[in-house]
Amino acid sequence: MSTIPHLNTLRSGRRGPRLRGRRGPPHAGSEDAGRFDEEDVEIGKDRIIQQTDQDASSSRMSAVSLGYLDDPFAKTLFPAGEQVPKRYPIINRGTYVRTKAIDKLVIRFLETNPNEQKQIISLGAGSDTRFFRLCAGKYKVRYHELDFESNVVPKRAAIRASEELSRMTLPSDNGSTYHLHAIDLRDLTNKSPPVLPGMSTEIPTLILSECCLCYLPPDTASSVIQYFTMNIPGSIAMILYEPIRPFDSFGKTMVSNLGSRGIELRTLKRYYSLDAQRQRLRLSGFKEGQGARDVYQLWESDEWTSKDERERIEKLEWLDEIEEWKLLASHYCVAWGWRGEPFEQAWKEVEGGRTPDEQRDDEVG
Amino acid sequence: MSDLDKAIAQLRACRPIPEIQVRELCYKARELLIEEGNVVSVDAPVTICGDIHGQFHDLMELFRVGGDVPDTNYLFMGDFVDRGFYSLESFLLLLCLKVRYPDRITLIRGNHESRQITTVYGFYDECLRKYGSANVWRYCCDVFDYLALGALVMGAGHDLAPIDAPFADPSQSNTDADDVEIELLNSQGQILSRFPRNRGGTQDTSQLSNTPSSPSQTKEQTPSRNGAPGTGATSTSGGSANNSGGAVLCVHGGLSPLIDSIDKIRLLDRKQEVPHEGAMCDLLWSDPDEIDGWGLSPRGAGFLFGADIVDCFNRKNDLSLICRAHQLVMEGFKEMFSSTIVTVWSAPNYCYRCGNVAAILELSEDGANAGYAPRSNGDMNRSNGVQSEKEDKRPGPGRRYRVFDAAPQDSRGMPAKKPVADYFL
Ligand SMILES: C[S@@+](CC[C@H](N)C(=O)[O-])C[C@H]1O[C@@H](n2cnc3c(N)ncnc32)[C@H](O)[C@@H]1O
Repeated sequence: MSTIPHLNTLRSGRRGPRLRGRRGPPHAGSEDAGRFDEEDVEIGKDRIIQQTDQDASSSRMSAVSLGYLDDPFAKTLFPAGEQVPKRYPIINRGTYVRTKAIDKLVIRFLETNPNEQKQIISLGAGSDTRFFRLCAGKYKVRYHELDFESNVVPKRAAIRASEELSRMTLPSDNGSTYHLHAIDLRDLTNKSPPVLPGMSTEIPTLILSECCLCYLPPDTASSVIQYFTMNIPGSIAMILYEPIRPFDSFGKTMVSNLGSRGIELRTLKRYYSLDAQRQRLRLSGFKEGQGARDVYQLWESDEWTSKDERERIEKLEWLDEIEEWKLLASHYCVAWGWRGEPFEQAWKEVEGGRTPDEQRDDEVG
Repeated sequence: MSDLDKAIAQLRACRPIPEIQVRELCYKARELLIEEGNVVSVDAPVTICGDIHGQFHDLMELFRVGGDVPDTNYLFMGDFVDRGFYSLESFLLLLCLKVRYPDRITLIRGNHESRQITTVYGFYDECLRKYGSANVWRYCCDVFDYLALGALVMGAGHDLAPIDAPFADPSQSNTDADDVEIELLNSQGQILSRFPRNRGGTQDTSQLSNTPSSPSQTKEQTPSRNGAPGTGATSTSGGSANNSGGAVLCVHGGLSPLIDSIDKIRLLDRKQEVPHEGAMCDLLWSDPDEIDGWGLSPRGAGFLFGADIVDCFNRKNDLSLICRAHQLVMEGFKEMFSSTIVTVWSAPNYCYRCGNVAAILELSEDGANAGYAPRSNGDMNRSNGVQSEKEDKRPGPGRRYRVFDAAPQDSRGMPAKKPVADYFL
């Protein structure tokens, strides 16, 4: 790959030319290596971010294959012929906790006034299966999934190839629709942003960002959220799943390890703690309530993970990495905020307020 | 140069040795280990190390910091394999050193030295990848079955052998060198801090919490309730005129509700795969915790045990300290329960991910009192039920901890393709 000698100098401030192997030469066959400019770097970075869905997807497959999660659709959306990956127990457990915690909030929303028309907009949905698992045929919901074209195309193909999924994505009599949008979220921050076909501005809307907005520059991430909170004047809510706590030694190592893979967690320093996440949501217009829990708390709390479930999960695999689990799991969080009904009713009882041990974060931040 | 020395040289360069040589090595090692009791007796001075987990380059750093074999005596408390990328090279090197210098290095078994665990946590896959068959994994597992379950360090000095080391912070250099109980050194061999024996009380606690810690340490990670990172600053163990540090029991995990004396460990049949339960399992899996008595372990094997259990066991067995590994501690070591038990962790930046520092623990020879004879019950029947009426706890031996960071990234030769999903994305 001697055609990309400028790679490192262009990616100033970061080490390791990991990009190289992943994207290949910028202009295959081109003799003009000098044309390798900033734009190419951006494309390379985007590609790496798009590929994070492969991590998410294979972690999901691993957790499903071992019985952590019951998800018959994960396999259909997993690249055919690829070997089912085996992840370490702590990764499986984390995948389980994150999926279930978000599910819980989503289900509470759907179950409150179940006959009311609702909307869910999933940012950077990747190979997510939540629509098929929780919504299709069950609730009156307009479900939108947004992602880069490169991730939407294979998903659309996989859905088409499956009779079952195709059927589920057909508009149903009760008003359920499924929309898959190939879009770069950053385009929503343009002066005249595109309109999302099928998006209603009138019905209660839940915005989901499961490990997506954290890859955007912080101001861009805010503008993306604003796009929705401005266009939808009524009830709206948001669920975030993101890394936190970049300042302790585990956090620093995480930032540098992911950095060496070309993955930059760009909002992490700004929203570095549970409280910073709550405040972010409040300032973004989700004024009525905010909650946040790290993955370790979600696992330990009976409200979030029932005793029976914990026991069931503990039996699936021997988990020798107790200290590591605690470290890893306390560096990811689910945060949520809302305004209006039915969110108030659905979520006000959910435990997500500040706990005494968050004191630690104040000292570091 | 003998074949063994050649193998050592090759492994030190982090290159695996041929399968046939592994077989021979494992055979020899087994012959040696079979002669050892379940609890090996080790004489001070000795340097005690915790988990390694296949972090070969960090093991090299450990030898740089602690001194090379055979110049330094080592006791490794298990978990040589799994998780890191070089379990094979790390374990085989240690095994070669064991065969070459049997009196200089002691290896005891960790919970990862097991067929079942190594198939989940990487060693099995690594052998398969590096040799194309599971033979080498099988040879190694056969050796695992013969590793001792514990070690008893005898004759550790109440006083630390003096060393000629500068202070990292020169303004501290007037700190008294007399009656030092704990000394903390960085990887450059500079003294970070010293803790005298007669401390205790609140005034010392504040002094201890100002202790400089290793550069990469951050306090928020492992809240050190009582003082300096790793040290049990509430300890009031000082004050005794006894010159012996007392015996130190080393095990990978901890105690078992089925074991109340060291002799009971000696009676176990250890030559088998680590069972899912029972005394042998507990010794390799248990953890100390801030509880009373015994508790269930979140690991699904072994137990949690509280300060009262340690206190009782140490008294009954005439121990001054239990030394164990098994748990990641961000500062590399952590003394608990008024310094009656310590966790030593020797895998820096564990899994290339945790950001922790590592530590090793040096115990000095009981030189200050040359004529002192270790208690006659050195081996069998250390505690024959006839307990000394002495109610005082044995004062702990002098302890010198050396903390070190991960070897620099470029020296560790990370595999080109990093395993994915180290994190949740
Ligand atoms: C780590 S994956 C998570 C996928 C899915 N939400 C899950 O949790 O399983 C991040 C996803 O966000 C998408 N993404 C990141 N930045 C984006 C952007 N600017 N526009 C659209 N999608 C984006 C990526 O393509 C990728 O599919």
